Amino acid sequence: MSTINDFSGYNPTWCPGCGNWGIGVAIKQALVQLNLSPSKVGVVFGIGCSGNMNDFLNAYAIHSLHGRAIPNAIGIKLANHKMPVVAIVGDGDCYGEGGNHLIHACRGNHDITVIVHDNGVYGLTTGQVAPTALKGFKSKSTPSGIIEIPINPLSLAIGSGATFVAQSFAGDVNHAIAMIKAGIEHKGFSLINILQPCVTFNKINTYQYYLQKVYKLPLNYKKDNFKTAVEKSLEMNEEKFPLGIVYETDKPSYTDQLPQLEKKTLVEKERFSDFEKLMIDFI
Amino acid sequence: MSFTWKIGGEAGFGIMTTGLLFSKIASRSGYHIFDYVEYPSLIRGGHNAYEVHVSENETTHLNKTIEILVCLNKETFEKHKFRLTSESLVIYDKDEFGIISDYKTINIPFKKILSELKGQPVMKNTIALGASIAVLGGDIDVLLKIIEEQFSKKGEEIINFNKQFANVGFNQVKNNYKTLILNYLTKRKSDVKLVMTGNDAFSLGSMIADCRLYVAYPMTPASSVLTTLASWQKKTNIVVRHAEDEISVINTAIGASFAGVRSSVGTSGGGFALMVETVSLAGVTEIPLVIFVSQRPGPATGMPTWTEQGDLLFAVHSGHGEFPKIVLAPGDIEEMIELTAKAYNLADIYQLPVIVMSDMLLSESHKTVSKKFVDDFIAEYKVNRGKISNIKASTFAKASVDEQNFLRYKITEDGISERLIPETPGSFYQANSYEHLEDGHTTEESAPRIAQVDKRARKWQTYLKSDFQLPKIYGDIDKADVVFVCWGSTKGVVVEEQKILLKKDKASACIHFNHMYPLDKEKIKGIFNKKKRYILVENNSWGQFGKLLLQETGIEIKEKLLKYDGRPIMAEEIINKLT
Ligand SMILES: Cc1ncc(C[n+]2csc(CCOP(=O)(O)OP(=O)(O)O)c2C)c(N)n1
Repeated sequence: MSTINDFSGYNPTWCPGCGNWGIGVAIKQALVQLNLSPSKVGVVFGIGCSGNMNDFLNAYAIHSLHGRAIPNAIGIKLANHKMPVVAIVGDGDCYGEGGNHLIHACRGNHDITVIVHDNGVYGLTTGQVAPTALKGFKSKSTPSGIIEIPINPLSLAIGSGATFVAQSFAGDVNHAIAMIKAGIEHKGFSLINILQPCVTFNKINTYQYYLQKVYKLPLNYKKDNFKTAVEKSLEMNEEKFPLGIVYETDKPSYTDQLPQLEKKTLVEKERFSDFEKLMIDFI
Repeated sequence: MSFTWKIGGEAGFGIMTTGLLFSKIASRSGYHIFDYVEYPSLIRGGHNAYEVHVSENETTHLNKTIEILVCLNKETFEKHKFRLTSESLVIYDKDEFGIISDYKTINIPFKKILSELKGQPVMKNTIALGASIAVLGGDIDVLLKIIEEQFSKKGEEIINFNKQFANVGFNQVKNNYKTLILNYLTKRKSDVKLVMTGNDAFSLGSMIADCRLYVAYPMTPASSVLTTLASWQKKTNIVVRHAEDEISVINTAIGASFAGVRSSVGTSGGGFALMVETVSLAGVTEIPLVIFVSQRPGPATGMPTWTEQGDLLFAVHSGHGEFPKIVLAPGDIEEMIELTAKAYNLADIYQLPVIVMSDMLLSESHKTVSKKFVDDFIAEYKVNRGKISNIKASTFAKASVDEQNFLRYKITEDGISERLIPETPGSFYQANSYEHLEDGHTTEESAPRIAQVDKRARKWQTYLKSDFQLPKIYGDIDKADVVFVCWGSTKGVVVEEQKILLKKDKASACIHFNHMYPLDKEKIKGIFNKKKRYILVENNSWGQFGKLLLQETGIEIKEKLLKYDGRPIMAEEIINKLT
């Protein structure tokens, strides 16, 4: 059995009160509860305050480039599809810089779990607007308020083919643990959007704001219905934030559909050696 | 004996396939070939041409003179007639366009034959091949056998239907043009040869090196590596991912390589430009990666289906920040097989990105390669994964948390630290994009920063001592009147042109580089220490290798032969430069 301690690296340097503290604890707790150890899990961190968890969480990890955690995670999964792979990213990272990768990872149903710290701002670069910010959000880079409307991460993912889409709130660690566990256990692409107050740069989407606007999906909510899931997602546009598994369906993952990987992972396979088979093409 | 056969016609009607078939016919008849395709960046409506240089001896270049020109349309004749002589043979259909004087002509009524035998337009090609074999004095059975193989799954009827077009073309010439028949393709004994492009060679070299993941986004002239390896997935169990863009391509490969799988990516200049941030990531995280860059004329979209050596300096300097990388540029198909396989070993041994450069000429031209050469290479090649930690789980089981901190970036004399394959029990580490301590944690302190920069840089010193290869010298520099300096795919034409010079009693030498970067200054200076007429030969307008050589060694080559119209350099152009 592993413990929280096994996963704990350096002490976090996040601002006091930052939502990342809750998410950090939730991730470690989820890994412990899943009976994983630091040597049994692959983690890719994006670049941002969120990605700075690299030094606070023990695992086989890549601290990647801004926006590129998802393809790195896909690569790890292709190489060793038996290992759980998690990407820990910011909303700027995942919905802005790396938005294209998100869409295609959904389409491919790559069996990775993407945990997005949705704080509406670019924390690490000191508070410019993120693609999730509400229209009109004033930031250093949008002093008159942002012109664009926010991305809707949930409907974007559902519409792109993600087979697990959940939302959680950094202020409710137990809920976040449950979502992260379910996401990692889900076979196929999972997105967990975690609403994360940034106490330093986002004075709009505060703990109080979210406490008023979030609600938990009822127990009888049918998460496998595509249409209702899209409808639920769209509530975010009216500043209502459903918490829970908004959508889950069972489909073969990308690696499930590669006959090459049926028996062994790519990394443990024997070397190919029947070169005659290839050379006949050239005679 | 050597000759050039060329066929041209409208794009979309099988010219490419026909050209390759001719190359295979010549190879199976016992000859060496080197071929070259010309096509615009469209699928239909443009002009396609394919030429094959056939020789009794090994060949790696094109000749200016075309001995046999097969014109499936008038444009072929108009576009290429400047390369004909009065001895050249032109095969064409009188019913389609006007009489051509000044050359020896063979009229094949393609149109009439097609309508009589109810053939489809592409079958013109089969007629043309039959006629070509006849006029060259070749054996029609070689073509008939190929048709049998091609249509083996479609049954006897289809096979025979196709064969008749070959026979009709063949007999047209045999019956009506006896006096024009040459003996250029009479069957000769020779060992088994493979007809391969540079892209085929990169693909095969990757398989030999145990590459297990290839990721790419299509881009001419690198695309056929993607399609070839994709088509081999069932045979070899390699995984091929066609990702959403080149940024995803290289980051997927980085992830897989981190997880212990030999991985590579391939693209041309534009796609490589998108990858460059991650080249830098591979540099600092010390994740092995092989990157195939097949050049075409830029800037931007440039001339997608033509050739140029315009990205050498870009490749050498790719990636922000200072980190070591290795750049190789094979000169021909054999070197492509060897250096590709070597690139995977170098990437693993030195834990850095290794760029293998090609260009449209090398990537898409076929050349005959002795099968024995490939067999011997496969037998000799050893996969070297470099320093991979073999720490057993038990070592960690009792260790304290501190000891579990694996020193992935441990400071070493040779600059190389042990790697740990993820999922090795009892330990973990992070491959960190930020500057880091020996154990991978982020740092911004001065001392560890300097230590890591120096450690990474030492990998270059180790490489120069252990694996760098000096340029190969063709000919004798001491006796030479003129010394050509070239790199990558221009090797073929320069070496060929040396033979022509020799016939004119002019001795020359060629210094050909394929280990492009880093360069060993002192050793290279030793090669350039003679007072000679040095001429730099490059398929670009800047003389990029000349600049690199100057930058790295202080050697400056003033005289240059540069070609940058998208076409490969021809032997005659070098000869003309000398006179
Ligand atoms: C290619 C590139 N562009 C820009 C940056 C600078 N940068 C670092 S983090 C960041 C945004 C971080 O915002 P987000 O992803 O939302 O994460 P947060 O810090 O809010 O957790 C930016 C723009 C970078 N590192 N790389």
